[in-house]
Amino acid sequence: MTATKLNLKDRYRLLTRDLDWEYSYQNRKDVFPMEEFEGIKITDWSKWEDPFRLTMDAYWKYQAEKEKKLYAIFDAFAQNNGQQNVKDARYVNAIKLFLTGVSPLEYQAYNGFAHVGRQFGGVGARVACQMQSLDELRHVQTQIHAMSHYNKHFDGFQDFAHMHDRVWYLSVPKSFFDDARSAGPFEFMVAIGFSFEYVLTNLLFVPFMSGAAYNGDMATVTFGFSAQSDEARHMTLGLEIIKFLLEQHPDNVPIVQRWINKWFWRGTRMLALVSMMMDYMLPNRVMSWKEAWEVYFEEAGGALFKDLARYGIEMPAYAGTAIAEKEHLSHQTWSIFYNYTHAAAFHTWMPDEREMDWLSEKYPNTFDKYYRPRFEHWREMERAGERFYNPTLPMLCQTCQIPMGFTEMNDPTLVSYRQSVYKGERFNFCSDGCKDIFDHEPEKYVQSWLPVHQIYQGNCGGADVETVLKDYYKMNLGVDNMDYRGSPDEQRWKQWHNLQSAEDKLKKAS
Amino acid sequence: MSYEVTVEPTGDVVEVEDGQTILDASLRQGVWLPFACGHGTCGTCKVQVLEGDVEIGDASPFALMDMERDEGKVLACCAIPESDLVIEADVDVDPDFEGLPVEDFTATVESLTNLSPTIKGLRLRLDRPVAFQAGQYINLRLPGVDGARAFSIANVPSDSQYVELHIRRVPEGAATGYIHDVLAEGDELKLSGPYGQFFVRKSAPEDLIFIAGGSGLSSPQSMVLDLLESGDTRKITLLQGARNLSELYNRELFTALAEKHDNFTYVPALDNPEDGDDWAGFSGYVHEAAIDYFDGHFGGHKAYLCGPPPMIDAAITALMRGRLFEKDIFMERFLTAADGAEGASKSALFKKI
Repeated sequence: MTATKLNLKDRYRLLTRDLDWEYSYQNRKDVFPMEEFEGIKITDWSKWEDPFRLTMDAYWKYQAEKEKKLYAIFDAFAQNNGQQNVKDARYVNAIKLFLTGVSPLEYQAYNGFAHVGRQFGGVGARVACQMQSLDELRHVQTQIHAMSHYNKHFDGFQDFAHMHDRVWYLSVPKSFFDDARSAGPFEFMVAIGFSFEYVLTNLLFVPFMSGAAYNGDMATVTFGFSAQSDEARHMTLGLEIIKFLLEQHPDNVPIVQRWINKWFWRGTRMLALVSMMMDYMLPNRVMSWKEAWEVYFEEAGGALFKDLARYGIEMPAYAGTAIAEKEHLSHQTWSIFYNYTHAAAFHTWMPDEREMDWLSEKYPNTFDKYYRPRFEHWREMERAGERFYNPTLPMLCQTCQIPMGFTEMNDPTLVSYRQSVYKGERFNFCSDGCKDIFDHEPEKYVQSWLPVHQIYQGNCGGADVETVLKDYYKMNLGVDNMDYRGSPDEQRWKQWHNLQSAEDKLKKAS
Repeated sequence: MSYEVTVEPTGDVVEVEDGQTILDASLRQGVWLPFACGHGTCGTCKVQVLEGDVEIGDASPFALMDMERDEGKVLACCAIPESDLVIEADVDVDPDFEGLPVEDFTATVESLTNLSPTIKGLRLRLDRPVAFQAGQYINLRLPGVDGARAFSIANVPSDSQYVELHIRRVPEGAATGYIHDVLAEGDELKLSGPYGQFFVRKSAPEDLIFIAGGSGLSSPQSMVLDLLESGDTRKITLLQGARNLSELYNRELFTALAEKHDNFTYVPALDNPEDGDDWAGFSGYVHEAAIDYFDGHFGGHKAYLCGPPPMIDAAITALMRGRLFEKDIFMERFLTAADGAEGASKSALFKKI
């Protein structure tokens, strides 16, 4: 039995790692200046196992085939006026949130992986990161293309990139990635490669894609399938980095544990946006946020942390708080956005009776007791022509940048409120998790660009909220913002489907 | 009518009968391919067809995507050749795997002994010599029992006219019940083998740790005896776990070997010794004995684990906490029908653990 041909592993090694070279006249530490400052100890890069074996040649061929199929669907969607076939125009607000909040993260991921793909001493890790970086660039492009069709027919899509860098709620996902990208290369990999792409991806990406599938959004669904065939690679890279770090040196274990604690908590805070999307923004619901959390974090994540326990890694700190929050998160988040819809580039609304019943059924422990009475009250106000908008600006958590509206889990009527003092200044937090993250690196988080503070400091182009929204955020006031009911989006939808009220018809006839 | 399938990168050639799957033919002819479920749902046995025609068979659309079908990927466990083929499989050429062919044998019961109150020693004389690697197993067929049962071979490969098996009685188990209650000397049985990827990586320079529980002593016994027989000079430590003294079988054999060979250490452990056992050895589970003996540091070894799933599980955790990781740990889990239910959700963190 003689080997007539190299196996896949050896061939991949020759096509990637063997392109590396020894540094004969440069100090290795000068070539890779970021490899040591985080405290991570790498004793042998050759122990890195390539998580996937894909050459650029194969990559182009494979991706070209995907693009061809994907863009054929986009064309068909546009030509058939696919925007008219979604379940209900309210659904499109979930897509607005995705385009302004999530798609720019794909671009940040592209930047981040390209950056760390230069910083690692091991060529296997560098090649894998560069490959993922290309995937992320493809994802942001295809997402923009998938959703650009909606921009022709609905409001709020026009300046997503501009808004991502400025608007208050978009600072939540933006600052999450800014935090990861301004960390060292190993923390970035644990934050994005592992915690985000492996542990939490099924709670971020999948709900949007299945939401699209359940609500007739063919373009977004197809994009989702196309991206998911790449995600399998990203997940294996996330797993390899965590195994590699934990096996390289015992001193890495506590550092990795702290990063897992931090990024799990930052991730669950960001998922608050997804929770309200699932429970409130989808006309056809897929599953409740609570159900998704149980399947994807408690079961799947539980199995993962059981395996990680073999390395001495424990469940993330505050996993218990996050589990308790599954009963409350979506309702509290939707309340915050309902309060501040006049300052958002998408619409909110109070659920109708049938939707409230669904929430009661899915959240028997909390919805009727804590949230339904409040929502019914707001609905009454709306019927009386006094739709409630909160005229003040909220205080934001210094770490996650979400308005301080979350409650204690042992008392859902009491707002959770934590403080730290650093160099004589007080900083405010929504939770123990966010306070811990600040306390470990205060010099980083005192620099947080908090949208509300920035407005009050006069850095957002105006003295009053309206000017900020119009000129600094570039929102079309009275069009992009405010309640769905009465919005131009709603009016257009009704025209397409001949849903004018009898009153409107009479007015037109007279 | 049969077709020749050439497996790259090793260049092995397999003869596949009409209607036979590539995987079945390969395994039977000693060509190992990665596989798991064996019926087209997991995708572990995905291979690339480089030349020739093949019927894809009953592969799940989730395990073999349309795009992969277009690229000529097939699942070896359901693919049936329709011409001579060249396929490429994701196989590492393990320098220690001998790739011995699987054959069918007729065996006669030479002896049946009570090794312990729950474990029988079954020695079978074969109709012709068998070539196997220490640690591998055979599939045994028993009258009136559906399907074959896997048992590890406990004797050394040089004892090639025989296979010796250690068989624990599984409560209400049809096959093990038959062996314990009905089987008699002189009976004839059908078996096939050898199978399995559990063998000593002899080319690896590290010292060796064997951890055995219950009748899982069989493979390690064969492996240790084979190493000592060949004059191997690396340090070899065998840890054997049993419930009490009466279940701790073949102790005299290993105690004597430890006296004879400086490089061999034998550490028996009882987790529940009885009052009459007068036990001066290690009391506790066998993975605890390993932590105790190696002072919690396992790095720089190769470890071989054999026994029931809970023992394997505890041993893996002990080894990993002591900084010996997946690629240095080899294992054979003794699954019974009762273990089938434990298929709770599993993460993708490990490949073989």
